[in-house]
Amino acid sequence: MSELAPPSSEAEQPVIGDHHPHHLRRSVGVFTATATSAGLAFAAINFLGIVSVSTFALGSSAWLAILIGGLIALVVAGVFSELNSMWPTAAGVRLYISNAFGGRFALIATFTYMTTVVLVIAADAFLIGAAIQHVLNEPPALAYVWILVLLAIATALNLRGITMAGRVQSAVTYTVLAGTVVLSIVAIAKPGMPIESPFALFGNGALSGFQAIAFALFLFAAFEWVTTTAEEARTPRVITRGLFIAPMLIWFAATVFSLALDHLVPKDVAHGSAYPQLLLGAAALGRVGEIWMLGVTVLTAINTFNGGFLVASRFVYAAAREDNLPRPFARLNIRAVPWLAVVVLAVTSAVVGAVIFATGQWLLLVAVGAALEASVFAIASAALLKLRRTHTKPRSFRLRAAPVLAGGGTVLFAGLALASGFSDPADPTQFSAAPALVVICLGLVATAYVLIVVPRLRRAAAARRVAARASGERVKRRPERPTA
Amino acid sequence: MATWDELQEALDDYTVSCNTNERLRKMQKDWTRILHFVCSDTAETFTMDVRSGEIISTGAGHVGVPDVVVTTDSETFCDMFWGDLNPMPKYLRGEIQVRGSQEDIMRIDAISYVIWPDA
Repeated sequence: MSELAPPSSEAEQPVIGDHHPHHLRRSVGVFTATATSAGLAFAAINFLGIVSVSTFALGSSAWLAILIGGLIALVVAGVFSELNSMWPTAAGVRLYISNAFGGRFALIATFTYMTTVVLVIAADAFLIGAAIQHVLNEPPALAYVWILVLLAIATALNLRGITMAGRVQSAVTYTVLAGTVVLSIVAIAKPGMPIESPFALFGNGALSGFQAIAFALFLFAAFEWVTTTAEEARTPRVITRGLFIAPMLIWFAATVFSLALDHLVPKDVAHGSAYPQLLLGAAALGRVGEIWMLGVTVLTAINTFNGGFLVASRFVYAAAREDNLPRPFARLNIRAVPWLAVVVLAVTSAVVGAVIFATGQWLLLVAVGAALEASVFAIASAALLKLRRTHTKPRSFRLRAAPVLAGGGTVLFAGLALASGFSDPADPTQFSAAPALVVICLGLVATAYVLIVVPRLRRAAAARRVAARASGERVKRRPERPTA
Repeated sequence: MATWDELQEALDDYTVSCNTNERLRKMQKDWTRILHFVCSDTAETFTMDVRSGEIISTGAGHVGVPDVVVTTDSETFCDMFWGDLNPMPKYLRGEIQVRGSQEDIMRIDAISYVIWPDA
C-alpha cells in the first residue's frame, strides 16, 4: 500500500533551456545519440545507394553528389533539431506535422513514412541474405532461406523483449563505419582505375546530376529517427549534436567507399550486383576482404532490425491504443511486447523481401526510399515554417535563416523527391515512373485508410465503451467531487 | 485542478489495482524503476517506487534518482490512476510529457492497458 507524505511544494521548471530539471538514472549522451542516428541511417541498402549515386554521376564525381547530399542533410538536421527542441518526444514527427497541418494529414504522412521502415527491413534482409549466399557460394535460391532465417531471429528477439543496450548499439555502429572506412582506404591505396572527371557531376545532364544528389540524400535517410530517443537524452542539445555529427560520419564513410568503388570495381559490375561491398572487399583484400565486408554487412542488420522493429512495432501499438488501428495490434505478450505488431511487421517484410528476390528490383527500392525520405524532409521543413508563425513555444535550438533554409529546403526536397521518383536506377539514361507510382500507391492506401477505416474504428471503439458503461461492465471509477 | 487528497486516493487505488493484477505482475516482474511525477498545474510532485513490477511505495516529493519522469496536469493524473483515461492519445498529443526510455514509456502505458483495456 502507498505511504503518502505531505505534499511537496517543490516548484518544477519547464523544460525549455539547455538542461532538464531532472537527471535520469540512465540517459543518452552525445556519443550514443550520434551512434543511434548514424546506425539507423547506415544500413546495408546504403551500399546500393552509393552505387545508385555513382550510376547517375559522370565518371568519379559521385563524391561531389555525396558532399552536396551531406550539406543538405545538415539543413535537415537543423530543421529536426528545432522541431525536436519544441516537442522532444518519441511521437515527435507526428506531433510536428499534426500541430502544423492537422491530425489527419499527420496520420497519413506517418503511416506512409512507416512503410519505409518495412522497406528498409525487407531490403536489408534481402541484401544480407544475398551476401551470405554469395560468400558461402550457395545456390541463389538459398538467399531467400537466409532472409527468412534473419527475419525469424529478429522476430524472436523482439518477441522476447530483447533490445540492444545503448553501448552495444554504439559499438556496432562505430565498428560498421570504421570497418567500411578502413577497407575503403586499403582499396584506394591499391593500384586501380584512374580517377576520371571528378567534378563532372552534371556531365550526364543537369537532371542526371540532380538525381545523383537525390540518391546521395538517401544515404542519410532515417538519421533523423534519433529524435525518437529525445525523452532519454541527457539534455535537449544532445539530440541536436547527434543530428549534426552523424551526417558527417556517414558522409565520410560513404565518400571513401564511393572513391574506393570507383577505383577498383567497374561501374557496370557494381551496378549489376546486390552486394557491391563484397566486390570491393574481394578486389581490395581477396577472400579476407570479402569476409570483412560480409561481417560489416551483417552488423548493419543488428541496428536496422533492432531499431526498425522497435520503432515500427511501438508505432503500431500506439496507433492501436488510439483506435487508429484494430485493437488486436495493441495486444501484449507476457514480456510487454506488442506481439501481433511484431509478427505482422516480420511477415510483411518477408513478403516484400520475396518480391525483391523474385523480381531482382532492389534498385527500385532505393529509388522509392529516396523519394519517400525526400518527401518527409519537405513536409518537415514546411511544418517548421508554419510552426514558426503559429507557435511561440520556447525552444533550445533555432535554425538560423529558417525562411531561406527551411523554405528553400521545402522546394528542394520536393524537387529531389520528384527526381528520384521518376528515375530508373537500372538505366540512368531512361525515365521511369515506377518509384513515384509505388510512393503514390502507398500514400493513397494510407489516405484511404485514414479517411475511411479510421473513423469506423473510432466509432466502433466509442460504441463499445458506451455499451460497456450501459451494461455496468465498465463504469467511471473516479469518485464524483462533492458539490459545494 | 485536482487536490492532493484526490491524487492520493487515486494513487492508492492504482497501487491496489496494479499489485493485485497477476498478469501485470508477471509481465512486469523484471521492471524495477523509480518514477517521478510532476503536476504541471499545481507544482506538486510525487514518487513511485516499483520493484519487480510491484509498487512498493508512493509518496509526495521526489525521492531518489528517477528512471522516468512524467509531467502532466493533476486532473489527468487522477483520471489516469483511476483508469478512466487512456493515457496514449494524450501522450501522442504532447499533453503528457515523459522522460525516460521508450521501453519504460511503453511499460507505463501497458500498465493502464492491462488493468483497464476498455479505458
